[in-house]
Amino acid sequence: MRRIRAAAAALGLLICSLLVLGQQGPSASAATYARISGAGSTWSQNAIDQWRRNVTQYGMTIDYAGTGSSDGRQQFRNGTVDFGVSEIPYGMTEFGVREPPPTRGYAYMPIVAGGTAFMYNLQIGGKRVTNLRLNGDTVSRIFTGKITNWSDKAIAADNPGLTLPNRKIIPVVRSDGSGTTAQFSLWMSKEHGSVWNDYCRRVGKPVPCGLTSYFPVVPGSGFISQSGSLGVSGYTRQNYANGAITYVEYSYAVTTGFPVAKIENSDGYYTEPTASNVAVALTQAQINQNKSSSQYLTQILDNVYHYKDPRTYPLSSYSYMILPTKVEKGFTTDKGNTLGAFGYYFLCEGQRQAEPLGFSPLPINLVQAGFDQLKRIPGVQVQSINLKGCDNPTFSTNGTNTLAKNAPFPKSCDKAGPTQCSDGTGGASHVKTPVKSSAGGGTGGSSAGTAGSGSGTTAGSSGTGSGTTAGSGSTSGAGSGTTTAGATSAGTSGGVDPDTGLSTGDAGGSGDGGQDIAASTVSVGSESFWGLRTWLMGLSALLLLAVVVAPPTIARRLTTRTGKRHGSA
Amino acid sequence: MIVRSVSIRTQPRPAGPDHGADRRRRLYSDSALPDRLFHAVARSGGGLVLAVMLLVGGFLLYRAWQALRKAGLGFLTTAQWDPDAGHFGIAAVLTGTVLIATVAVVISVPLAIGTALYIAEYAPVRLRRTLVSVVDLMAAVPSVVYGLWGLFFLQGKVIGLARWLSTYGGWFPLFTVDGADPHDPLATATVYTASTFVAGIVVAMMVTPIICSIIREVFSQAPVGEREGAYALGATRWGMIRSVVLPFATGGMIGGTMLGLGRALGETIGVYLVISPVFAIQPHILQTGTSSVSSLIALRYGEASPFGMSALMAAGLALFLMTLVVNFAASSIVARSRSGATAE
Repeated sequence: MRRIRAAAAALGLLICSLLVLGQQGPSASAATYARISGAGSTWSQNAIDQWRRNVTQYGMTIDYAGTGSSDGRQQFRNGTVDFGVSEIPYGMTEFGVREPPPTRGYAYMPIVAGGTAFMYNLQIGGKRVTNLRLNGDTVSRIFTGKITNWSDKAIAADNPGLTLPNRKIIPVVRSDGSGTTAQFSLWMSKEHGSVWNDYCRRVGKPVPCGLTSYFPVVPGSGFISQSGSLGVSGYTRQNYANGAITYVEYSYAVTTGFPVAKIENSDGYYTEPTASNVAVALTQAQINQNKSSSQYLTQILDNVYHYKDPRTYPLSSYSYMILPTKVEKGFTTDKGNTLGAFGYYFLCEGQRQAEPLGFSPLPINLVQAGFDQLKRIPGVQVQSINLKGCDNPTFSTNGTNTLAKNAPFPKSCDKAGPTQCSDGTGGASHVKTPVKSSAGGGTGGSSAGTAGSGSGTTAGSSGTGSGTTAGSGSTSGAGSGTTTAGATSAGTSGGVDPDTGLSTGDAGGSGDGGQDIAASTVSVGSESFWGLRTWLMGLSALLLLAVVVAPPTIARRLTTRTGKRHGSA
Repeated sequence: MIVRSVSIRTQPRPAGPDHGADRRRRLYSDSALPDRLFHAVARSGGGLVLAVMLLVGGFLLYRAWQALRKAGLGFLTTAQWDPDAGHFGIAAVLTGTVLIATVAVVISVPLAIGTALYIAEYAPVRLRRTLVSVVDLMAAVPSVVYGLWGLFFLQGKVIGLARWLSTYGGWFPLFTVDGADPHDPLATATVYTASTFVAGIVVAMMVTPIICSIIREVFSQAPVGEREGAYALGATRWGMIRSVVLPFATGGMIGGTMLGLGRALGETIGVYLVISPVFAIQPHILQTGTSSVSSLIALRYGEASPFGMSALMAAGLALFLMTLVVNFAASSIVARSRSGATAE
């Protein structure tokens, strides 16, 4: 008995000393960070994942689960994660239900800006389209099931340079609770309210309906719902998803190498959500400046949607981190130290990587406001950061947003009208899509007229509208005939065949200099049930059966024969 | 083989605790303290499992009560899922769950039986161990990996089969695909994606190892005496398997299948990643759009309202009860069968 007691005492001492040692551990070295976890948005996940990887060199371990903004807010409310990431704040009303704010202390902090892009997978004649343009009304009607075919007149009107195929549009939407869906539906409800309300009525939701995190889908409408930004972008990029279009943050299109649709802004230009276009648009975002409000720093985007700058991308927005401001629900000051250090990292240095990833860096006022918000985290080690050292592309010496100020203006072929640029977009920016000669004119020019399709009977196939840069119309030998008469006038007005005197507008492969991108009407005679294919299938089934059955049958017959012979012998 | 066993028997027995085999064993009428302790521990362990089950069920019922009371019997017949508007029910999700699990079982059972039969009866002994660990490894792969594999790899490969099935088997109601035109080259192939069929194949990959290891275990327990007897009567190996192993293992095969079915009913992430959820009864297994109870819960968990959460709990309760019924049925079948018993 005594021995047991002694052993117990020794064990107790050992445990105590271990505990003491363990307690000394973190305080001894300041660079040891407690592990923290977060969940939420997949819209900004590409940026967060990059920053998480970068801070592992400082010994920080940050777990992040991209489970959608709704789930992130819910998990933060329940206290299962240390921070949440969401595009929309708490307290939004979706289909008449107001989301209650959490009981724990919280604050919002913008982390990165970006554009909700429309990534698509569309081929014309086996070649991927990379320069699609859509206006807001068309987009809304595509995602509410009103426009169901790529050859629709509305899409053709947006894309004078493309001969769009008679192919079904497959809208791919998010199935989980998503901030991307919330931003997109908010934009639709504000800008194209009648279209969106009409859709809500069809799916049996109360009208007028504002934003929603769960995209409602009519069963059997051909819409595809997938979970997460990775799910929708991954589905859209598959070979079988020809004709699909989805809404996702620009960075997903960049990383998957797929194009995004250029969206028409209020100034009549079709723009892409590049970092500078987003920065221009977000100069118009109204940020809640009331520090005592629970909605401090949240965004109102109404002015962004119809800002009259040719460089604006209308669906631009900020993504927010939801920070805990009290020690409760498993959040400790040690964790606060990690979260604060992580926050200082990505508000300053991390913003440099926003642009290459497909996001847009925060402007200086929001970075400073973010630093103030970080001070509210319990346990944070306040750092005084010299903003010049951040090397954020939006910063300047005089307080203006450099990125927005120096944003390049769109080419004139991007203006709504009869012309269309051939340049690729998103992750496919290096791939040009040939446009019809009549649309390829203007200053932009295009490489459209590289190959006059073989059927050109006359020599007039050269370079209508095919000027490589200046629109002088000088390249492009045709498949047949000699290259005569370089149609110098074609570069600007683009349109008359010098030999035939006919308009070369959309003759579709009859020597108009444009590469044949027409995939218009295809009709195939319906095959009867007893066609060749059925016979071949039956034959292969028979062969398969023979392969399985024949060897044992033959083998058995052979053995019986030899057996008989042996028996008779 | 026989010779060696005889030689072992003729050797003198080593002295050990059981060396007095000739003497009669003493029987204790009154069990000693260790025995009673063991009894108590075992009994409380069993009781604890039961209590946990009851607590899970009770918790789900408690949380679901609010929604169940409001929905009433309509909960079983409504296909929509819109708790905040008052229209919600599990008709669609439960149908989807059962269909996905059925597809999974139909695919995985032949695969598992074949694998188990090869491992237990045909494979060389050295290969056997490798194969067993490979199958066990399949069970250890996280389901999100299967889900991603299904979404990014499998789906594109299955479209051809799905199209073929619907084109030539479309007269069979389950294989019909609305809106598909196999004669139109510009028709979209997406109508064959994100379907019950694809989700079922993914789930089949997950349940196959479970079914396989149970069946393999039962196969290997087929009594040696009967096997030798069958050989002695001139049976080939396949004849022996047909007349001894398979009849012996019937109960185990059914039980393993039912356990696999129980797992398939509850599979979440693999299904969640693949399907395109719709809230309408979708009997066409090749067509896009399906749903399952567990993926519904995973998708809608972020939903804000407490009532919506209660409705999700009600769906969870339905799944819990269904899985319970399936597993009870499985255990009773296994208990009644001869599988695992030695030859009389």
